[in-house]
Amino acid sequence: MKILIAEDETALQQSIATYLERDGNVCETASDYTEAAYKADLYDYDLIILDVNLVSGSGLDVLKTLKKENREVGVIIISANNSLDDKLDGLDLGADDYITKPFHLAELNSRIKAVLRRGKYGGDDTIDFNEIKVDTKSRSAYINGKAMSLTRKEYDLLVFFMTNRGRVLSKEIIAEHLWGDNSDLADNFDFIYVHVNNLRKKMTGEGAKYIKTAYGSGYKFIED
Amino acid sequence: MIRKTSQTFIWISFVLMVVSTIALYFYVSNLLRDEVEEELFSTEARIETALKSNRSPYELPPVVEIMTVTELGIEKLKDTIIYDPSQDEMEEFRELTTFETINGKNYRITVRTLIVESDTILMAVVLSYLIIILLVFTFLFYFSKARNERIWQPFFTNLEQMKEFSMTSTEPLRLIDSEILEFHELKREIEALTTKVKSDYLNLKQFTENVSHELQTPLAIIQAKIENIINGDNLNDFQYEHLTSIQKDIQRLTQMNKRLTLLTKIENKQFVNIQKVSLAEIMNGTIQNFHEISAAEIKWDLKNEIWAKMDPYLAEVLCTNLVSNAIKHNTNEGDIEVTARDKVLSISNFGTKSIANPENLYTRFYRESEAEKSTGLGLAIVKRICDLYGFLIGYEFTEGRHVFSVRVN
Repeated sequence: MKILIAEDETALQQSIATYLERDGNVCETASDYTEAAYKADLYDYDLIILDVNLVSGSGLDVLKTLKKENREVGVIIISANNSLDDKLDGLDLGADDYITKPFHLAELNSRIKAVLRRGKYGGDDTIDFNEIKVDTKSRSAYINGKAMSLTRKEYDLLVFFMTNRGRVLSKEIIAEHLWGDNSDLADNFDFIYVHVNNLRKKMTGEGAKYIKTAYGSGYKFIED
Repeated sequence: MIRKTSQTFIWISFVLMVVSTIALYFYVSNLLRDEVEEELFSTEARIETALKSNRSPYELPPVVEIMTVTELGIEKLKDTIIYDPSQDEMEEFRELTTFETINGKNYRITVRTLIVESDTILMAVVLSYLIIILLVFTFLFYFSKARNERIWQPFFTNLEQMKEFSMTSTEPLRLIDSEILEFHELKREIEALTTKVKSDYLNLKQFTENVSHELQTPLAIIQAKIENIINGDNLNDFQYEHLTSIQKDIQRLTQMNKRLTLLTKIENKQFVNIQKVSLAEIMNGTIQNFHEISAAEIKWDLKNEIWAKMDPYLAEVLCTNLVSNAIKHNTNEGDIEVTARDKVLSISNFGTKSIANPENLYTRFYRESEAEKSTGLGLAIVKRICDLYGFLIGYEFTEGRHVFSVRVN
């Protein structure tokens, strides 16, 4: 996939690029509004990660131009402003998703995949991995063609793992993905462990041993 | 204040009136008495002259009486009451009795004059004085009252303005200027003071917003870099442990930031999407959401539906914060009970003892014990939301449970 990262903080820009390139994506970067507008206009991308506050202008203006020209490109807005209005503005303008700083790269990656699933593949809402198939439209998972009975959180966890294949996911990242702002509650209890373990059992029961432990307390979804 | 000065004026006027009337009464009555006595003496002198010149003096009892006596007495001036045949009643007279030896004869000459008349004069004088002074005072009273009201009017208007002064309001103070130097200065000082207070407040608010906002990007960078390190090679368990611990702290910082921003936004009244919201429905969703994260069972007892006019997002924050507070502080993992009944939403959890300082519960960053890892902002936000919509929030400790209840109006 070809991705444009329009973010004026070079350190963040590079970190995002590093993370995404490991999945075999091609990342290009833009460090200010002019560069972002120029590149977005000139080249075709599968997805643009757009910071709202670019040094010399607003990322939302880049989005407006893209939408005016009916460009087929997924857009994820990143903003330092955790305000609902900003979020609604961005989504109203046609952004596919909105994420607030600070965010986990795994979370961003998961959302990128979701956007790409919806857009580029023309409504193919499935994630496939060997014998596992997830239908994101009906929120159901199948293993060897057999429906898995998963709780809501287990389903979310499975999708999160599958979209971050080969990544180390710490309990902190998983907790925040599953419970968002309330993840600090999970601090006191080992809920993540319980949820991951339940999911793992349901998968290994069918012979899918993909969830591995990493560094003692983290997890990794990887093929043997 | 004007009433107070008016009262003082009335009292002083009254006292002055009484005193001056009494003084006038005695002065005039003395004056009249002197007149009467002078008249008596002059009449007596005329009678003496008449007697000396052997003219037969006339007698006009009871006004003039002349008698020959054997012995001389002492001259006497007194008030007496005698019968006046002309009036056919007892009347009060002023009487001068003198004894004179004229042409070898001893006479007792008594002259009298009616006091009634002088009393009438006295009364007339005092009464007219009283009426005049009453009129003067009444006029002065209303005149000075009206004038005072006009003079003090800028002061009172400005005072009303100050009562309505609010730091959060964008409306400027509408102060009235006055020709009176003190009021003019007062107005100037109030203006300077309120402008300063407002700008300080705005600066502080701006500062909180800016800090929260500016922190997001560095936090995002740290977080992204840590994630890349974790996903890199050559990492040992020890390093991983520390990196995830940093992740946890970043998470805390992020939460704190978000909540501070939320608090500021609530204080700035930035939530204007007011709708009719079913608190019971939102609470239901919240409990579903927390169901898997809570070790304790959350018992949901919906007696009546609760409707509130508020921002749906804030309604969600309200429910979430109340439930998460209960989960966080639930000891011995007993049940958490949530009840919706008669416009009151109450949440209770187990506790070993009552909160030591309930008055600080809603203070920012207040924590009962150092061991807690909360941001210390959850209940502060709850309180702000309640204040914003006029809900009443209460805390009590009964039967080993902490109970928070929100009464929706």
